[in-house]
Amino acid sequence: MKIESTRLAQAVTLRHRCGFYSAQRHLISQVDPIMAAALARDTTVALAVDPQTAETVIDTFGGSEQLVRLSEPGPGCHSGQTLAARRARELRELVRDRGPVVMIGQHRSELDGADGSFWTELDAAFGVALADVPVELTCFYPELPLHQAVLDGARQTHPELLVGGVPVTNAEHQCPRTVLAEYPAPNPDLLGAPDLQIECGAWQLNEMRHTVEQALIGVGYGRSRAEDIVLAVNEVATNAVEYGSQDARVHLWLDGDGTTEGAVCEVHDHGTLHDPLPGLAAPHSSDPRGRGVWIARQICESLHVWSDSSGTHVRLHAGRPV
Amino acid sequence: MTRTVEDMSSFGSSVTHACAVAVSDEHLWELSSSFIEDGITAGDHVLYFDDGTSDRVLERLLDDGLDLGGLRDAGQLEVVPAEATRAALRSPIDMFCQLLTATVDSALEGGFSGVRWTGRFNYGPTPGNGHTQREYEAALDSTIRGRPARVLCLYDRAHFPDDVIEAMRTAHRVEIGTTTIYDDNLLRVTATAQGSARLAGEVDYSNRAQVRKLLASELDTALRSPAAPREIRLDVSSLRFVDVAGAVGFVHSAEEFPSSHRLVLDGVRPRVARVLDRCGAPFAAQLITHAHGERHAAALPVEVRV
Repeated sequence: MKIESTRLAQAVTLRHRCGFYSAQRHLISQVDPIMAAALARDTTVALAVDPQTAETVIDTFGGSEQLVRLSEPGPGCHSGQTLAARRARELRELVRDRGPVVMIGQHRSELDGADGSFWTELDAAFGVALADVPVELTCFYPELPLHQAVLDGARQTHPELLVGGVPVTNAEHQCPRTVLAEYPAPNPDLLGAPDLQIECGAWQLNEMRHTVEQALIGVGYGRSRAEDIVLAVNEVATNAVEYGSQDARVHLWLDGDGTTEGAVCEVHDHGTLHDPLPGLAAPHSSDPRGRGVWIARQICESLHVWSDSSGTHVRLHAGRPV
Repeated sequence: MTRTVEDMSSFGSSVTHACAVAVSDEHLWELSSSFIEDGITAGDHVLYFDDGTSDRVLERLLDDGLDLGGLRDAGQLEVVPAEATRAALRSPIDMFCQLLTATVDSALEGGFSGVRWTGRFNYGPTPGNGHTQREYEAALDSTIRGRPARVLCLYDRAHFPDDVIEAMRTAHRVEIGTTTIYDDNLLRVTATAQGSARLAGEVDYSNRAQVRKLLASELDTALRSPAAPREIRLDVSSLRFVDVAGAVGFVHSAEEFPSSHRLVLDGVRPRVARVLDRCGAPFAAQLITHAHGERHAAALPVEVRV
């Protein structure tokens, strides 16, 4: 897979920093001043923290309208890039309605996965997906997490560190794509034999679309939803046959991934992944290319890209609309 | 046999029986629907002999704005099921002719001005029924001579080998020809007037470059000719899919037009409209889109005659 458009469409407006805490009380002591300062200047604060922290903060500052809790990651959240894309949608909406936002994030060990690389992927993806969003994002990590990779990644993905309550430049910071070259996005869990397997080249994309659409409608997807999912799969498969290898393999599971309901589709090719975070940045309107995967991310609940020695792989999860 | 190539409008005058060779499925549905629409307009009783593709022909008629529910209620358009078509064409030739005569008589008694038949009549020349395709065609000619009946026999290269198609062509005095700008069996592009074209099928990675070429060519023609319209119009009512790069191509093409010209997409289906919206079409001042409407959603199936 190759994504041609990796340049940023607008100036970077994200301020992304990281703080460390030894215990819950230490965390709250760092969060409170940020909250107080933001609310004093009538700025909306978005919380992506664990329930205990959220309750403590709300007890302290009351049920202010300026305090917004972002959506819970949910049990099927294994993809940092997907959570970053979702946060970007939520924050863009907040910014549109309320202006610049302060966001506070917190490490949650249940999302660590096998080695904690979820958090490196998430923070690297924040650096791309939120680059043009006026957000002051502070991510808090425990000083002693279960996986050392959590701290190693955090020290490289944040341009600023919070030291004694003051943001300072982080000398270890690297650009997100460089970090992910060192800590690649993790492989998701294997799903077993798919319900459908389709091999397609550039001139069989229409047959693939037809097969996937009929399968989705056959298990109860509405026509519009099925058509949109087919568009998402088509865009990923088009990238695969255009940049990856002559043929792409499309696998479809119609009954969820064991954790969440809805169809799961994977597209595999033998190509090299040039951009580890495709489709996260909103493309500039004048760019002729680079929009397909971004639109696919808007359509699907989850879109996770990873690569290994066999090529590039994309898993899309697309449930029925509630 | 001397054979002439005419266009579809010839059925309105001298031609009563002709063949047409479709190069793609889209072409087949275009020929079928064009012949049927002309018959509907003329007040004929129209029979489409189904071979399993009637859904796509009816969809094409809906694209063209026909009121299938009204035609069904009036009994003007009938889809003859494949089994009935097969049985008629495999019957002895004298019975076949009696059936044709009875159909014309029945239509006239019903107040119609005439009869039109079309479909892929590929069941006749089968081994064992004792007649050749040429004999069927000759019998059909003599049966409808002097009667208000029009027959278009359709053959397509996807289902018939070249030698069979050549044999069919030589069995007909008239062949209907059409002008095609581009046809790859996934997307078909035809010119509809100066500065306008119709796209039918799907635009994806395999053919989207052709659409950009078409738009560039149409714009070039329009700019060089003072009499050419300032709107490049594309009828996309039969365009069933466009990928993101294809949709971006429409948007960027329109944005590259000089301020004096606009790109107008007529009959945009909801599926295509959603992709265009995601690709910035609402913000392109020189791109005008007209929605397809709710014709498909409200469509009623045409009754079939068993």
